[in-house]
Amino acid sequence: MSVTATEINAAAPDPEGYVNERVDLLTRVQIDRSCRQTVVWYYASAVVWLLLGSVFAMLSSIKMHNPDFLANYEWLTFGRVRPVHLNLVGYGWSSMAAVGTLLWLQARLCKVRLPFRRVLPVTCVIWNLTVFAGMIAILAGYSQGIEWLEFPPQALGSFAFIFVILLATSLKMFAERKVKHTYVSQWYLFAAVIWFPILYSIAVVSMQLPSVTGAAKATINWWFGHNTLGLWVTPVAIATSYFMIPKVIGKPIHSYHISLLGFWSLALFYNWAGTHHLVGGPLPAWIITVGIVGSMMMLIPVTTLAINHHLTMIGSFHMLKTSPTLRFVVFGSMVYTLVSAQGCFEALRSISRVAHFTHYTVAHAHLGLYGFFSMIMFGAYYYILPRLTRNEWSSAPLIKVHFWTAAGGVILYFAALTWAGWYQGEMMNNANIPFIQTVEYTRPYLIARSVGGMLMSIAHICFAILVWRILRTKPVSQFHGPTLLANPQSEAGLAS
Amino acid sequence: MSAAYILIWGCMLLFGCSSICALLWAIRTGQMTGSQEGANSIFDAAEPIGKPTDAFPGAKR
Repeated sequence: MSVTATEINAAAPDPEGYVNERVDLLTRVQIDRSCRQTVVWYYASAVVWLLLGSVFAMLSSIKMHNPDFLANYEWLTFGRVRPVHLNLVGYGWSSMAAVGTLLWLQARLCKVRLPFRRVLPVTCVIWNLTVFAGMIAILAGYSQGIEWLEFPPQALGSFAFIFVILLATSLKMFAERKVKHTYVSQWYLFAAVIWFPILYSIAVVSMQLPSVTGAAKATINWWFGHNTLGLWVTPVAIATSYFMIPKVIGKPIHSYHISLLGFWSLALFYNWAGTHHLVGGPLPAWIITVGIVGSMMMLIPVTTLAINHHLTMIGSFHMLKTSPTLRFVVFGSMVYTLVSAQGCFEALRSISRVAHFTHYTVAHAHLGLYGFFSMIMFGAYYYILPRLTRNEWSSAPLIKVHFWTAAGGVILYFAALTWAGWYQGEMMNNANIPFIQTVEYTRPYLIARSVGGMLMSIAHICFAILVWRILRTKPVSQFHGPTLLANPQSEAGLAS
Repeated sequence: MSAAYILIWGCMLLFGCSSICALLWAIRTGQMTGSQEGANSIFDAAEPIGKPTDAFPGAKR
C-alpha cells in the first residue's frame, strides 16, 4: 500500500512526518503479519501445555498432603506425575511461549519480516510431538530419572533440529536488520538461542556416557538444570521486560549503559552458578565454592535490572492500572529482583545448611519460573497477540481476574512453602526431633500450597478462555479498545 | 569422573569466551557508544516516545 498525495496534503502541515509515520506503521504491520502463523501456533500450544501442566501440578500437590490420592494407578504415582508437571511447564509452556516471544521480538527489533515461514510452523508441530511423546514415556515409567532431563534421550534429535532452525532464523534476521544498533533485548535473545541447545546437547550426551556416574552425573545434572533457568528462560523474560516496559509507557530505558552491564555480567557469571545445588554433596569443595562465587556475582545483573526498571517506571506507575501488559511485566520484573537476590544468598553454605532439601527450595523455584518468568510471558501475550490477530482482548475483567488469581496464588504458594521449608530444615537438623513430627508440621502448609495452586489454575483457565476467544474471533471486527492504540482503523486498513 | 568435570569446565569456559568475543565485537562495531540512540531505537514515527501503546480493552484513550 502506498501513501497518496491526497493523504499527505490532508495531513499538512507536516507531510514528511506523516509519510514517516505511515511507513513505520506499514513496516510494523507487515512484520506482525509475517510472524502471525508461527507465533500464534507456538503461543496456542504453550497454553495447552500450561493447562495440562496445571492438572499434573495439582495432582502432585494434593499427593503431598494426601498420599493415598489416586495411589492405585501406577502411572499416576507421585514419582511420575511430578516429573510430568515439571517437563510440561518447562518444555511445553515456558519454552514454547519463550520461542514465540523470541521470534516476534527479534523480527520487531531487527525490523524485518520473519523468514523461513514454511519451516517454522513445522518446528512447532515437532516440538509438540516431542513433548507429548516425552510425557507418555514418563507416565509409562521410562523416565531418565534425572531432573530436567526426564525425557528419553531421543528428544535431543528433535530439539537439535528445531534449534538449528531457530538459530538460523535469528541470524538471518540479524544479518538483514534495518536497525544498525543492537538493542539490549537482542543480546539476551541471542544468548538464549545459542547457549540452550549447546547446554542441552552436552547434558543429554554426557548422561549416556558410561564413565559419567554418581557425583559426576549430579554435577552435570545441576549445571544443566540451573542453566536451563538462567541461560534459556531468564534471558528471554529479561529481553521481554526491556522491550515491553519502555514501549508500553512510551519512555526509553533510564540508563542504557547499565542495561548492557547487566547483560554482560549475566553472560559471564550465570553459567558458573549451577553447582551451588550440590552444597554439602560429595564433591571437591572448590567446585561448590566456584558455584557459590558465581551465584553471588549474580547480584550485579540483578541490581542493574532492578535499578533500571524502577527508574524507568518512576512517573508511570499509574499506568499499572490501565495496561495489562505492564501490570504482568512489572510484577514479573519485581519478582525477578526478589527471587534472584534470594537465590544468591541461598547458595551460601550457611543458608543451604537449613534450606537445602526442603520445601524452601521448591518455593524459590516456583517464584522464579512462575512469579518472574510466567508473569512476564503473560504480559507478552497481552501485548503481542492483539497485534498478530488484529483483534482486541474480549474482556478486561477476565484479564484482571487472571492477574489477581495468578499473583495471589503464587504469593500464597511462596509464603506457605518458604515458612514451612525453613522450619522443616531447622527441625531436620535437630536430631532430637522425630522425622514424622517434621512431616506433620508441614502438612497445613502443603494444603495452603494446594490452595495457591488452585488459584493459579483458575488464572490459567481465564487466560486460556481469553486466548481462545481472541484466536476464534474474526480479525478487525472488534476494535472497541485501545490495546492496539496506534490508530486501529488505519492499522486495520494496512493489514487487509 | 574427571572427563565429566573437564566437559563441564570446558563448556563454561567456552561460554565465557563466547561472551568476551561478543563483547569485543560490540565494542569494535560501536554498539557500546551512543547509548541514548540505543535506548530510543525501539521507538519510531508511528510509535514515538511519549506515546503509550497498551491499555485494557474498552478503556478510553
